[in-house]
Amino acid sequence: MSTIHIESLLKKVEKPGRYIGGEFNEIRKDHAAAGTTFAFAFPDLYEIGMSYMGMQILYNIINHEESLLCERVFAPAVDMEKLMREEGVPLFALESKTPVREFDVLGFTLQYEMSFTNMLNMLDLAGIPLHADERGADAPLIIAGGPCAYDPEPLADFVDVFLIGDGEESLPAFLKLYGEYKAAGKSRKAFLQEAVKIQGVYVPRFYEPVYNEDGTLKEVRKLYDGAPDRVRKAMVQELDLAEYPVKPLVPMIEIVQDRAVVELFRGCTRGCRFCQAGMIYRPVRERSPEKIFAIADQVTKNTGQDEMTLLSLSTSDYSHFEEMATDLIDLCTERHVGLSLPSLRLDSFSFKVLNEIQKYRKSGLTFAPEAGTQRLRNVINKNITEENIFSSVRQAIELGWKHIKFYFMMGLPGETLEDLDGIADIAQRVMQLNREMHVAGSSRFNVTVSVSNFVPKAHTPFQWAPQDADFTEKHDYLSAKMKIKGVSFHYHDDPVSRLEAVFARGDRRTGYFLEQAWKNGCKFDSWSENYSAEGWQKAEDAFREKYGYGTDFYRTRERSYEEVLPWDIVDCGVSKAFLMREMEKAKEAVTTDDCRIRCNGCGVNTWAKCPLEGIHG
Amino acid sequence: MARYYLVFSKNGYAVYTSHLDMQRFFKRAFARAEIELAFSNGFNPHPKMSFAQPLSLGYSSQSEYLEFQTKEQMPAEQIKSRLAEVMPEGIGILRCVQLPDNGKSLAAMCVAASYRIFIRWDEDEMGCRADKFDMRGFLDQKEILVLKRMKKKKEPKEIDIKSKIREIEWAAQDNIIIMSTKLDAGSDSNLSPDLLIQAIGRYTGAVIPPENVEISRVDMELDGLNQ
Ligand code: SF4
Repeated sequence: MSTIHIESLLKKVEKPGRYIGGEFNEIRKDHAAAGTTFAFAFPDLYEIGMSYMGMQILYNIINHEESLLCERVFAPAVDMEKLMREEGVPLFALESKTPVREFDVLGFTLQYEMSFTNMLNMLDLAGIPLHADERGADAPLIIAGGPCAYDPEPLADFVDVFLIGDGEESLPAFLKLYGEYKAAGKSRKAFLQEAVKIQGVYVPRFYEPVYNEDGTLKEVRKLYDGAPDRVRKAMVQELDLAEYPVKPLVPMIEIVQDRAVVELFRGCTRGCRFCQAGMIYRPVRERSPEKIFAIADQVTKNTGQDEMTLLSLSTSDYSHFEEMATDLIDLCTERHVGLSLPSLRLDSFSFKVLNEIQKYRKSGLTFAPEAGTQRLRNVINKNITEENIFSSVRQAIELGWKHIKFYFMMGLPGETLEDLDGIADIAQRVMQLNREMHVAGSSRFNVTVSVSNFVPKAHTPFQWAPQDADFTEKHDYLSAKMKIKGVSFHYHDDPVSRLEAVFARGDRRTGYFLEQAWKNGCKFDSWSENYSAEGWQKAEDAFREKYGYGTDFYRTRERSYEEVLPWDIVDCGVSKAFLMREMEKAKEAVTTDDCRIRCNGCGVNTWAKCPLEGIHG
Repeated sequence: MARYYLVFSKNGYAVYTSHLDMQRFFKRAFARAEIELAFSNGFNPHPKMSFAQPLSLGYSSQSEYLEFQTKEQMPAEQIKSRLAEVMPEGIGILRCVQLPDNGKSLAAMCVAASYRIFIRWDEDEMGCRADKFDMRGFLDQKEILVLKRMKKKKEPKEIDIKSKIREIEWAAQDNIIIMSTKLDAGSDSNLSPDLLIQAIGRYTGAVIPPENVEISRVDMELDGLNQ
């Protein structure tokens, strides 16, 4: 093991605090004593990666295993990267400043598609060959996980092993097995053949895609008989038994989400048809109120953080929400900790709670109707009615809220201009309602409307749907309608949404597109100052040159139900038949009940326990 | 309520934690140590805690002063040992002393600070070997001029720092200049060691790059504080 000297670089970069480690609660272990050394990489800046709870969870679990060691690494900012390249400093891990290429295993967490170029860039900065088949036994084994691994194919040429699903059990098991094979001097191949027996392990080199002439998949040929036909995600059934980091790292520099985080549950029973998280994290698994309280208690003690937030897909769906919220408010008041409750459904209890925790400073209230008309909300199965929205808004205004945020999506399947008009209409009527109510300070009242571009995702009912081709026109159309006094309107640029759509449902060939873009200097693509339209265009040209079609093939083409999909190799637990049924219901604008009312037959309960099915039925 | 000051050191990678970050850091450290700070009143209460002097990013220090007020009186030794337990690598708790309730703030008492400075001397750039540098001549100039960026104004202004240099000693060794210096550090008159380095560079007609310089604050002079 070697240590890199970075002091001279640190004096020259904008934020040296990103590269030094040494945070309170950091865990340092001896490389020489570890059976397997693991570098955990987040392919984005420190401030972003450190805000991500999943990394803290796994960091903690792995380091608590005696034979394993885990250190962290993030994407260096552009200024640091430049210096590192000039001075020949390879990518290093924060804890020991060891080059990551000296670790046994290097793992990337893939939270969003636009971090893929950063991943390639980090491999390159580490001095590790990009392609799995160019790497020898001296290079670290490259693994990846996270939601984007549910369509692993765009990265299949670069990654040796994907770990799909919850990593709490599968990752340590995988790393320990690696250590055993290493100690016994066995080959990588032998290790991988054994590793596929761990649930959630996908080894791309054991499969070979065969394409039709039109570019669609014909079949996927298995190259090693012992590999599973489909890779079922790993899942932690009992969250209470999973170790949660009650001594998380406390960054010295400010990060994006600089607060204590308590995870309530995984999964969501609502079944919104656009939402990948709502499908791939099924079934809903809740932590017990006692455990949540104990975590909140210890985390605030062990970090000294003065803000706390709750993590889940929909806070107020938590079964013991009132009890839990009341207890946490007491705890936080006593400790002078600010509590935030994201993604609340605004019923009377929530208002009571919000009024309590935002006594002095009412931050904005957030609504996510996602679509502007009831018809389109039925299409996407977002079961929130106009009546829900307006009665909540009325209450909010009465209680003195001055700022309301709305989130919508644009380009949803079956969207028409009428649905866009609906967005403007809601904003207009909220402002109108405020004027009519004559509460004190009503002139300060304002509304923000944010519209994102819909990206169809793998393993959702909309996985067969094309992405809208007319974002720009629609943005212009809506912008004109949104010139309403007191309303500010934001939308996302479309180039990034287009690229997301390619990689969210890409096949192995899209890896070539990615690599070309990276070669053209693309990285940090979601930051507008870094986005290189030219780099991506050149990559598009190269792709078309090589395969004879452009990447719109992945983006704007409607797939048939019969088509073999690149991500079919991954079994997220939900059946394709269910997704098809949902897609058909979407076409008819028919809704599906919340799983708490009745089981909708998604298939998850055929192999796992679905604890909340039908509990309110 | 009780008032104290704390002396701590900052070394290793921790020197890359900014002044603002240190404020948040200590706020959390007190919470971890279960020492309840007194808070200001108002809509946006903040803990009563402040540094005698900010320390620039990248400087180490053997002597940083932080004053604070706790809600309850407790033995200073206990505060010291509790805080010491919740420090990350690089930050050391050296002393904790109780202060009279009413008195001048440490920031107002602070008048001077001592630094140890290492300059890696680039012979080609500077035009001479480290041990041949005419420090005496530099100090004996009628004026020692530097460009200082004044708050808010965009154009840097030329100022004379000569009177702000209280003491200075130096030695050269293998192309490194080692200096011990005491500079004004207070609200009336203040001199950042960076400006002194700039002035030395200017005297030789060169620019000394920041990565060639290491600065450590070794002491602080607080007028009227029983140190
Ligand atoms: S098994 Fe039934 S209740 Fe459980 S998530 Fe699937 S559809 Fe919902």
